[in-house]
Amino acid sequence: MTLFDIIFTGSEQALEACKALVEQTIKEYGEDEKVVFPNTAYSLPVIYAATGQKIGTLADLKGALGVIESLIVKEQNLEKALNAGLATAVAAEVIEACKYVGGKNPYEEPCVGFIPDTVIRSLGVPLVTGDIPGVAVVIGEAPSAEVAAKIIKDYQSKGILVTLVGKIIDQAVEAKVKMGLDFRVVPLGYDVTSVIHIVSFAIRAALIFGNVKPGDLPELLKYTKERVPAFVNALGPLSELVVSAGAGAIALGFPVLTDQDVQEVPMNLIVQKDYDKLVQTSLEARGIKIKITEIPIPVGFAPAFEGERVRKDD
Amino acid sequence: MSEDLKCLSCDAATCSLLEKAKKEKIETVWDRAEAMQPQCGFGEMGLCCTNCGMGPCRIVKVSEDGPKKGICGADEDTIAARNLARAVAAGSAAHSDHGRDIAHALYYAAKNPESGYKVKDSQKLISLAREWGIETENLDEKEIAAKVAELALQEFGKPFGHLRFTERAPKDRLDIWNKMNVTPRAIDRDIVEVLHSTHIGCDADYRNIMMKATRAALCDGWGGSMIGTELSDILFGIPQPHEIEANLGVLKEDEVNIVIHGHEPTLSEAILVAVNDPELIELAQKQGAKGINLVGMCCTGNEIAMRHNVPMAGNFFQQELAIVTGAVDAMVVDVQCIMPALSQVAKCYHTKLITTSPKAIIPGAIHMQFDEARAVESAKRIVQEAVLNFKNRTGNIFIPEIKSKGFVGFSNESIISALDGVTNSFAHPQGTVKPLVDAIKSGVLRGAVAIVGCNNHKVPQDKGHVELAKELIKNDVLVVTTGCGAYACIKEGLMTKEAANLCGKGLSTVCELVKIPPVLHMGSCVDISRILLLLSEVAKYMNVDIKDLPVAGAAPEWMSEKALAIGTYVVASGVYTMLGVAPQITGSENLTRFLTEDVENIYGGKFHIESDPKKAAQKILEHIEAKRKALGI
Repeated sequence: MTLFDIIFTGSEQALEACKALVEQTIKEYGEDEKVVFPNTAYSLPVIYAATGQKIGTLADLKGALGVIESLIVKEQNLEKALNAGLATAVAAEVIEACKYVGGKNPYEEPCVGFIPDTVIRSLGVPLVTGDIPGVAVVIGEAPSAEVAAKIIKDYQSKGILVTLVGKIIDQAVEAKVKMGLDFRVVPLGYDVTSVIHIVSFAIRAALIFGNVKPGDLPELLKYTKERVPAFVNALGPLSELVVSAGAGAIALGFPVLTDQDVQEVPMNLIVQKDYDKLVQTSLEARGIKIKITEIPIPVGFAPAFEGERVRKDD
Repeated sequence: MSEDLKCLSCDAATCSLLEKAKKEKIETVWDRAEAMQPQCGFGEMGLCCTNCGMGPCRIVKVSEDGPKKGICGADEDTIAARNLARAVAAGSAAHSDHGRDIAHALYYAAKNPESGYKVKDSQKLISLAREWGIETENLDEKEIAAKVAELALQEFGKPFGHLRFTERAPKDRLDIWNKMNVTPRAIDRDIVEVLHSTHIGCDADYRNIMMKATRAALCDGWGGSMIGTELSDILFGIPQPHEIEANLGVLKEDEVNIVIHGHEPTLSEAILVAVNDPELIELAQKQGAKGINLVGMCCTGNEIAMRHNVPMAGNFFQQELAIVTGAVDAMVVDVQCIMPALSQVAKCYHTKLITTSPKAIIPGAIHMQFDEARAVESAKRIVQEAVLNFKNRTGNIFIPEIKSKGFVGFSNESIISALDGVTNSFAHPQGTVKPLVDAIKSGVLRGAVAIVGCNNHKVPQDKGHVELAKELIKNDVLVVTTGCGAYACIKEGLMTKEAANLCGKGLSTVCELVKIPPVLHMGSCVDISRILLLLSEVAKYMNVDIKDLPVAGAAPEWMSEKALAIGTYVVASGVYTMLGVAPQITGSENLTRFLTEDVENIYGGKFHIESDPKKAAQKILEHIEAKRKALGI
C-alpha cells in the first residue's frame, strides 16, 4: 500500500468509528442532548477553528460527520493526503466529544483528557516566550519503561512540554516519572483519539493568542506551523489510524518521528530507531534550538520542576 | 501587439520586436517559414533519398501509382530509417565535437599557460581521474589534468572496449545495451559506422539501422555530451544556484552590448574574462558607453548563466530579434544553431556578426578565429572589435522593457547539496539523493520530467515548453530543463520562488523546504548528461533500472538533429519521451511503430508524438502514475 493509501484507510476507519459512535450515542441520549467539553469557550475546538461552526447538540455532531467525509478524497497527492489527516483529527474530536456526553467525566488519574482553556492561557505565555521551547506528543509504546522514562525526562529537562498517549503512560508510571501539568508531563489518555486533546490545545492557542478567525483554515494551519513548536514521537507498531492521525499532525506543521519502518517524507516523517538520538532528531526536525547552560548539580534542573511540591515522605 | 503575432510566440519581448522587424522589413525565421509553405511532403515523411548519384528518389505514399522503391531498391522503411540515422549521427557529432574541444581546452589548461585556461574544480578533476583509474598520488594537478584530457580524447577513437562513462549507468541498463549491441565503443567510430551503413547498398534493415543510430546517440549522451559537461565543470567550475535576469530586456541602451551565441564555453568563458578587463572597460567608456554588457544566447548563454551572473538574453528564435533591437554592438558566435540569416539582419543595423570557429563560417560575417591556445588574448581582440563598434550605433534603438528573474545553476552537485538541507543530521546520511527518492516514493512528488529542446515554427515559440511545464508542476511533478526550454521557462517566471504558487501542494512543499524553484535549470544541451546521471543515481539508490522510474522526457519544440540524437539516447536510456513536433519518419509505418511502440519492449523507453502541450502533459502524467503503480509506490 502506498503511504497515501495507508492514510486514506486510517481516515476511513476513523470516519466509520465516528459514525457508529455518534449513532449509538444518539440512541442512548437522543439528538437534542448537549455536546460540550468541560471548561472551554471554543465548543469543539478543532471543528470550530476549522469550520467556524459551533457544535451544540448531538444532532449538530451528526451534521459534522459530513465535514469529515468531505475531507477524505482518495486522490494520490499530498494535498488530499493532508486533508485526510485533518479528517482523522476531526473524527478523533467527535469520538472524544461523545465520551463527554451526558456530563460524564471519562478520564481519571493519571490521564487528563480534555485540557481546559485556563491551562492553555497559563501555558501560553511561556510557550510564546520560548520558556517552553516545544511540545512533544509521545504516542504508543516504547520498547521498555526505562527507554520511555529516558526520553520523557530528556524532554522534561529541556523544558519541553511532554504529552503522552497510549501504553507509554503505563511505562511512565512504571518508571516513576513524575507527571502532571506542574511537571510538564501530561498523560492524555490510552485511546489514540485522546491525542486530539493536545491538537485542540494547539488550535486554541491559535484562536487565543494568534487571533486566528474561526473558519480560516489556511491561517490556522499557518499559525500552528509557525508558532506552535509541536512534534510527534510515534513509538511502537503503527496502525493505519495512527499514520492517518500523523498526517493530521503534518498538516498542522508538526513533524512525526517514529521508530518504525515507514516511508520517510523529508522533514515531516522521519524514522529514528536509535532511542538515544530520538530527542535530538525531534528537536532538529521541529527547528527547536535550546540554549543549554549545564549546571553541574546532582538533581534535575529545569523550569519543569518549578511547581514541584516536596512531600513529607520525599 | 497584434493577435497574429501572438500565434507565433507567447513571449511578449519577441512579439514587440517582431513588429519592429516587420516595420523595418527585416526578414525573420517566421517569414522564411511562411515562404516555405507548403513544405515538401516527401521530405516531411522521410521518403526522399539523396544518398547517391542515381537519386534523388522518392517514395509515393499518397496514391497507388508512383514508385514504392528507390532506384537501388530501397523501400520506405530503409529510406526513412537511413535519413533518421544520419540525422542522429549528425546530432551526436555536433555534441561530441563540442566535448572534444572541451577536452582539448583541459589539455591546454595542463600544458599551455598562454591559453588562459585553468582547472577551477580540482576536486572534481581528481574524482574523475580516480574513476578512470589514474594514479593521482604522486601527480600534481596539471599532470592529472593532462592525463584526464588524454583519456577523454581517446574516447573518441580508441580501437577497443567501450566508453568509460557507460560504467556510470545502472547495471540493468548496461545489460540491455550489451544484449542489443548498442553499448557505445568509441564516439567517432560509432558515428562513422552510421554514415557507412547508410551509404547506398549497405544496411537496408530499418531495425539494424536504428541499432547503429542508437549506439551513435548513446555515444553522445554517455560520451561526447558527458565529457563536455564534466570537463567544463572541471575547467570553469560546478554551477551553483544563483539568481539572474532573462529576456531581451537585459540589453542596455548605454552600454556596449555583446551577445555571445552558440555553444562552447571555451569561447564564452574567455569572452567573460575579456569584458572584465579594465583596459577594455576604459576603452568602452572612451567610446561614450557606460561599460560592457555581456549577455548570452542559446546554450553558450546557458553555460555562462549557470556558472556566472551573465543574463540570458534569449533562445533560438530570438537571435535575429536581438539584432533588431539596434542595440547589439557585436554578436559573437561559435558553433551550432546559429542562423546564417544573422549576417543579413546584421547588415541592416550597425551590429557586427563575428564568427570565431573554423567549423562555422558564415558569409557576410566578420571572421575572427578564436585561438584556444591563446584564448583570453583572442577573446580580448574580439571584445575590442565590439567596443569600437559602439560609436556606430544609430538612433534606431528599441529594447523592450521586458525581462524576468529566476534561479539557475542546478548541477547535480548543487541539487544534492540542496537536498542535504532537508536531511536530519541525527537520522540521515548526507550527500545522497535519498530525500529526492523519499519525496517520490512517499508520493509527495509524483515524478520528474525533463523539458528540453529548441524552438520550431511549427508550434508557437515557447508555448510548448511553458504550458507543458505549468501542467506538470500543477500536478506535483518536478520539472528540470535545459537548452532553449530553459529560456522559455525562466522568461515565464517559472524559476522563481513565487512559481511555487503554480504548483500542487506536494511540489510547493518540496520547493519551500528544499528552497528551490519548481523548474530547475540544469544547463545547456550537453548538460542533459547531468540528467542522465541524476536518473542513474536515483535508479541505483532505489535498486531499479532507469526505465522503472516515474519520469519522462519532453522536447515540445525540437528542431535540430542534436535534439534527435538526444531523444534517441534518452529513449535508449529507458525514458518515455514526448516530442511536440513529428520527426520525418511518418512515411514508414514500420519505423514509426518501431520508435513509438516496439522499442519500449527493448529499452523500456519510447517516443510519443503530441503537439498539444495539455494533451502531452496528460499522457506524461498517465505514464508517471503507471510507473508508480508498477513500483508499488
